[in-house]
Amino acid sequence: MLKKVLAVLMSATFVLGVAGCGSSKTSDEKTTETENTGDSTKDTLTIAYTTDPEGFDPQRTAAISTLEVTSNIYDTLITCDADWNIIPDLAKDWTISDDGKEITFNLNEGVLFHNGREMTADDVKYSFERLQDAESPKAKMYANIIGIDVIDPYTIKFTTEKLDVDLLDSFAYPWTAIVPEEAADNLKTEPVGTGAYKFVQWTPQESITLVRNDDYFGEKANIENVQYKLIPDMTSQLAALMVGDVDITEVTADQIDVLNNTDGVKGFSKPQNSIQILALNQENEYLSNEKVRQAIAMAIDKDEIINTVVWGNGTKIGSHLPVSSPYYVDTTDVMPYNVEKAKALLAEAGYPDGITLSLKLPKTYQTHVDTGTIIADQLSKIGVKCNIEIIEWATWMSDVYTDHKYDMTVVAHSGRLDPYNFLSRYKSTSGDYISLLSGDVDDLLDEAVQEQDEAKRKEIYAEIQKILAEEVPCVYIQSLSKFYGLNDKVENFEIYPIDMLNLKAVSFS
Amino acid sequence: MQNYIIKRIWSALVVIFVVSFITYFVLMLIPGDAAQLILGTDASPDKLAELRNAMGLDRPWIVQYLEWLGGLLRLDFGKSYLYSTSVLGLIIDRLPVTASVAVLSILIAMVVSILLGTVSAIKRNTAIDYFSRSVMQIGSAIPTFWIGMLFIIFFGLKLKWFPISDYSPLSDGLFVHLRSLAMPCTVLAIGETGMMLRSIRTSMIDTLDQDYMDMARVKGLKNKTIYFKYAIRSAMIAPINVIGMQFAKLMGGTVVVESVFSLPGLGRLLLIAVEQRDVVLLQGIVMFITAVVVFTSLVVDLIVMLLNPKIRIRTRGE
Amino acid sequence: MKKSMNKSRKKWNVSLAIGTVLILAVVIVCIVSFIYMPHDPIEMNTTLNFLRPGANESYILGTDNFGRDILSRIMMGSRTVLLVGVVSTAFGAVIGIILGGFAAMSKNIVSSIIMRFVDGMMAFPGILLAMMLVLVVGRGEKGSIVAIAMFIVPTFARLVYSMVLDTESMLFVKAAKSYGITKRRLFKKHYIPLMATRLITQFSSSIAHAIMVETSLSFLGLGIQAPNASWGLMLNESRKYFLTYPYLAVAPGIAIVFTVLGFNLFGDGLNELLENGKGGKR
Repeated sequence: MLKKVLAVLMSATFVLGVAGCGSSKTSDEKTTETENTGDSTKDTLTIAYTTDPEGFDPQRTAAISTLEVTSNIYDTLITCDADWNIIPDLAKDWTISDDGKEITFNLNEGVLFHNGREMTADDVKYSFERLQDAESPKAKMYANIIGIDVIDPYTIKFTTEKLDVDLLDSFAYPWTAIVPEEAADNLKTEPVGTGAYKFVQWTPQESITLVRNDDYFGEKANIENVQYKLIPDMTSQLAALMVGDVDITEVTADQIDVLNNTDGVKGFSKPQNSIQILALNQENEYLSNEKVRQAIAMAIDKDEIINTVVWGNGTKIGSHLPVSSPYYVDTTDVMPYNVEKAKALLAEAGYPDGITLSLKLPKTYQTHVDTGTIIADQLSKIGVKCNIEIIEWATWMSDVYTDHKYDMTVVAHSGRLDPYNFLSRYKSTSGDYISLLSGDVDDLLDEAVQEQDEAKRKEIYAEIQKILAEEVPCVYIQSLSKFYGLNDKVENFEIYPIDMLNLKAVSFS
Repeated sequence: MQNYIIKRIWSALVVIFVVSFITYFVLMLIPGDAAQLILGTDASPDKLAELRNAMGLDRPWIVQYLEWLGGLLRLDFGKSYLYSTSVLGLIIDRLPVTASVAVLSILIAMVVSILLGTVSAIKRNTAIDYFSRSVMQIGSAIPTFWIGMLFIIFFGLKLKWFPISDYSPLSDGLFVHLRSLAMPCTVLAIGETGMMLRSIRTSMIDTLDQDYMDMARVKGLKNKTIYFKYAIRSAMIAPINVIGMQFAKLMGGTVVVESVFSLPGLGRLLLIAVEQRDVVLLQGIVMFITAVVVFTSLVVDLIVMLLNPKIRIRTRGE
Repeated sequence: MKKSMNKSRKKWNVSLAIGTVLILAVVIVCIVSFIYMPHDPIEMNTTLNFLRPGANESYILGTDNFGRDILSRIMMGSRTVLLVGVVSTAFGAVIGIILGGFAAMSKNIVSSIIMRFVDGMMAFPGILLAMMLVLVVGRGEKGSIVAIAMFIVPTFARLVYSMVLDTESMLFVKAAKSYGITKRRLFKKHYIPLMATRLITQFSSSIAHAIMVETSLSFLGLGIQAPNASWGLMLNESRKYFLTYPYLAVAPGIAIVFTVLGFNLFGDGLNELLENGKGGKR
């Protein structure tokens, strides 16, 4: 009996409480931060995100979403601005030897890690060795560095084995962050860097909190607190933006207009250093035949994809470089959209009755899933039947990327400053999930990385792009844009050609 | 009765053991590899083999199972791959959220079901009866996230009555806590009420039909007394089973609601573990939830037994 | 005086009626879908995407983000729903009945083991089990069917087990046994007819449950895959456009509600019929 009474009482209280709260329209949220009442002393930037990062260790992750966060906690020797220019960061200047195989950085002095210790060249050496060790996903990229010499506490010299004209670029990526040795074992959950923001807390699947580093060596961040909020559902994210719960969130292209027409929020859309491709596995018996690949390429109407999936906010491409790259050449007319020709090619290849292929799509990227769905429809018109499998990112990484167990897949490649990094996988010996097995670009790639004359280099890359466009190891669909929804008061928000989010520059109006 | 209790507890333990076996076995079958997950993109085959060896993944699975079971008994659920922290810790962190959601939803559903169920039973086969029954039937047929999204857009966005993505723990204050849970719990309650209503109504009808009810009326007791003092008490016995079941179901079934309302609960943790193939985490959560379910049904059974004089006397055969 | 005796005559009741109607409606839509659909459900017409219902007479319920006709997709979806719902429940039921029956009639240690196992399976909340199984078996139609069948099994096993035990204690069974009737004959001739109506009721409710779980699985991305049209998948796809094109969620949502409702009501109605038929409470 007591139980019953208690239950009734509790429920009554609850019902009354809810009703009471509901009718009093409180506009300010509870607890720590977020004021959404147009108060100019807003001190917290709230960003919505959908998947937890893989921890905060820059040399143990390859996930873009993770790097975007770590790029604020750590610094690198150099970085780049929104226009692809290299600018100094932890290094104040540098010199490259004449033969291009040595680069010496002069570091800023008085840079402090978040634990109070000063950063010196020893830390740089430690960090790069860590980057090269077996557990680092990006180790391969830095295998060319064979010597790291500490000249004095603020000078460090890197020596490479082979000439790589893009060597400098490789020091700007977020995974080359400088970390302190004493904290290295726990960087995944307790990152310590030199960055403009200090790590405060990570509550898995809930939030990540950063606070401004007031001892930052450079220009201090404008906003004191940064709070990442996990909101798994896209519509909830948008709704949260609209009521002021978050200030920044990723959105889809169709929502840009809606946002611009809504009070209190605005849309942000900009082409990204990223390309979307339909990767074809040349180890598949059908796809090893160049004619089949070309048939597929011609059966795909890139315009339709761009219009339907990103509402026209993308640019068609024909080869593996994004439009914003300084080395980009337009190869879109090498394999134009032509269904009849595609059918003919397929028949010529020996498959007039069509073939069946599997198409694996990464669930976490709606753009690729949508694109893949349309491609399947387009290919069905020339007799290529696609069996779609939508898989998780982890599965994609293991099945497609590592084991090469796939026929076709749609994915994006992004965040590389130099074309060699984009294109090196096409070497027939690369063993990568995509490459050009015919070997036609192998020599060119080797030449390009050693060619110090920029004009000549551009020519070589142009040649490479044309070959890729003709032999279509992949079908190159579009150069992507990134879309964000922002609170009206957010200023100086930018996107960069590498995987980073520069929060220290952001401010509230 | 002593005997029965012991038997029941023993039975529960056996079930938990079976569950652990099923869990481990099923998850062992999952294609895909934890070592790969940790090493990520550029993992080479020999590095993978090395890591597998270090993690003990290449031992016969019965050995791994026993080791895991041993760990469970010490309350060590292992370390999550994704988050590099104790699985049990992660679970405990999230438990209050899911528990709050489950409890609150059940409460709401109970209140509504008791009221409507009683009224329906009393005014059997009248318009009210049919109305409430059909509304609740429809309610339990509606996909949870659909209603959830509608709530978010209507109550959250348009009316701004409830927060969309903020979860406030109890420590922030009772009202605030309840407010942040109002929408998800109501959504869940709508689904729950269907079953509960049916059960309460049936049970209520049965009770009201009993002879002693007529006695009460003959004695001249007021309707209110009859209903509240006598009817509900005995009518609640059978539904308690249902309520217990629902609660248990909710403990594992809040995934959808948690996804839609961004609640950091067990359900979402489970989903992430599934998506990312964090097998250790997955095993831990499944084990935990099912253990809770088994425990809850044990408790419910015992309560029912205590409340119901009939069963106390009767001995149950297995 | 027991009031319930008064309504023992009815052979039909509202729940049963509505339930049957709804179920028939879905079945009819499904059958029709094999004969005629306004458009090809997977054909895309990207220039005609996001048509609102009623905007274009060729697309009565509008089109989705790829320009696919919603009505045709709903019709195609009815096939999946019935397939997954009915087949998985049927599998689960058959396995469950066999297990439960066997366990009830064996009464030895094997029976105990089986029932413990069933209890174990029953302890898993449905979604949990389904998620785990999908991981193992793989997603898509096959995976969903297996996963859902698996968690239907314990319900039927338990039901049959307790019903058989109950029936066994009845006099006429004891009598039959004394004549030396074989176990199989006992099962077939006596138990099953008695249990039939209860089983059908449970079957109906389980189908409803199965459909709800399929919806959740599709929502979580673990169920039927694109470009097949399952209602759960359609609801999932409508999520990202909820704010801008909410109508996308309406048709599949209503379809699911009606179908689940139909099976639930049917089961309920049947149940009521049973209760009344027996003239009182059980």
